[in-house]
Amino acid sequence: MNGKTIFGLQVASLVLIWVLVILIGIWVVNLLRLSYELPDVPSATFGISIIAVPVFVTIAGILTYVFIGLQKGKEKE
Amino acid sequence: MFDATVTSGAEFKDAALLRPIEETSRNFYYVVAGLSLVVLIAAVMFVRQVWFGLGVTGMNQPVTWGFYIVNFVFFIGISHAGTLISAILRLSKAEWRRPITRMAEVITAIVLAIGGLHPIIDLGRPDRVLNVFTSGRLQSPLLWDVVSISAYFTASTVYLYVPLIPDIAILRDRGTKPEWLYAFLSWGWQGTPHQHKVLERAINILMVMVIPIAISVHTVISYIFSMTLQPGWHSTIFGPYFVVGAIFSGIAALLIVMIVFRRLFHFEAYLKEIHFAYLGNLLLVMSLLWFYFTFSEYLTGFFGHEPFEMKVFWYKFTGPYAPYFWVMVSCNFLIPLSLLTFKKRNIIPKVLTASIAVVIGMWLERLIIVVPTLANTHLPSPVGIYIPSLVEWSLFLGGVAAFALGFAFFSKFFPLISIWEIQEGRERSVADVTERLQQYLPTESGGNVEVLSV
Repeated sequence: MNGKTIFGLQVASLVLIWVLVILIGIWVVNLLRLSYELPDVPSATFGISIIAVPVFVTIAGILTYVFIGLQKGKEKE
Repeated sequence: MFDATVTSGAEFKDAALLRPIEETSRNFYYVVAGLSLVVLIAAVMFVRQVWFGLGVTGMNQPVTWGFYIVNFVFFIGISHAGTLISAILRLSKAEWRRPITRMAEVITAIVLAIGGLHPIIDLGRPDRVLNVFTSGRLQSPLLWDVVSISAYFTASTVYLYVPLIPDIAILRDRGTKPEWLYAFLSWGWQGTPHQHKVLERAINILMVMVIPIAISVHTVISYIFSMTLQPGWHSTIFGPYFVVGAIFSGIAALLIVMIVFRRLFHFEAYLKEIHFAYLGNLLLVMSLLWFYFTFSEYLTGFFGHEPFEMKVFWYKFTGPYAPYFWVMVSCNFLIPLSLLTFKKRNIIPKVLTASIAVVIGMWLERLIIVVPTLANTHLPSPVGIYIPSLVEWSLFLGGVAAFALGFAFFSKFFPLISIWEIQEGRERSVADVTERLQQYLPTESGGNVEVLSV
């Protein structure tokens, strides 16, 4: 497997992580919408959401930071 | 900056750490085959359960939670071994952490995956887990569990992966097969100063982030019980009690894994008696803390003497669950206390015995929390009886085998001891620790004590 293919796969895996985070966001928003629709303690749902979503975003952000940082830190061949 | 670029030849001092990856003994295949068989039997039993329904288990009215929930709480508890202990040791700059952290982090990732599956097994109809996505109630502690365990699993996996990158690059540079896998996972690591800076910064952020997530996970698990008004469950100290128990069982599991792999892979030069003595001290402290919480929990219930509370209390102390209760107290308190208080000689056998006792004791503790409360209902009905079926035992053993199998596979592809951190320790630790000591210690000058200026 050549370097370009491997780099492409690495970028794809990083994109996949962000897709996962976005899906989690959509899921949480769906539950939030549901709790407003059913007047089912939306305030509590909102409280949990604002804690949960940033955790996943931060984790994905750290991975992205590491990936970009490692690419930038490579010695020029 | 340490030099981790020497990855082969006589200059590479840590070839012993790569030997399990580069050489595969016949025993490895026997172990994998044996464990796979146990996992396969568990899978067959699970299919049987899906096919016939939860009637094949020992669960019934009123005991509707059994082994699966016990194992769920137990496995998630074990997961605290890893990331939490590793993060605390890294944060406190404990130099002796270096050969320990990787194993701790691997335990977390594997047991979280196994533990997280147990509520799905408990559902009986696994397809119904999709309801969580379509119509879950985020204000329910059950959903908090889903969120916090997912967050902990994601954070732990990233926390395992990021510090693994330099070691993956060593394997890539040595041409270890499969080469494409190591090239893919190493993310272009070359060990340049900029890359080290990026990696260290990411690890620092992760280790601070992972501690509250880990604590939240077991607190939230305790809420499944304590948010109900059931006797034996409705307690304000359940959150910290569960966290203490989780760290306690986690350290014990970590010690067992360290001792087993030290023996199997001949890591004696890396995992020395002092590591077991320090972690043994930590286990002893957690044992005392566990006893304090247990004593507090039961004394408060007994003092109130509320009739339903007392029904559960006596069920555990002198009733059908008394043997389990007193074995739990012995395993979690008496045995660790007697073995770990004086451990100048035979450290490793003593620590191993205490750790095995703690793992058994903590599993019994989960059983004692879950079943007696459900067996003693508020209704004027007979006391419930729970006898786990063969299906439940098989799935329990399958979970344990899956953990061992996961660990065996990890050890076949990645070093169980962080090579770059060991190399960094050799090159930097003495200077770092000396510098720190100079900052901590006051010096005597002219009869007066004055702190060294930094």
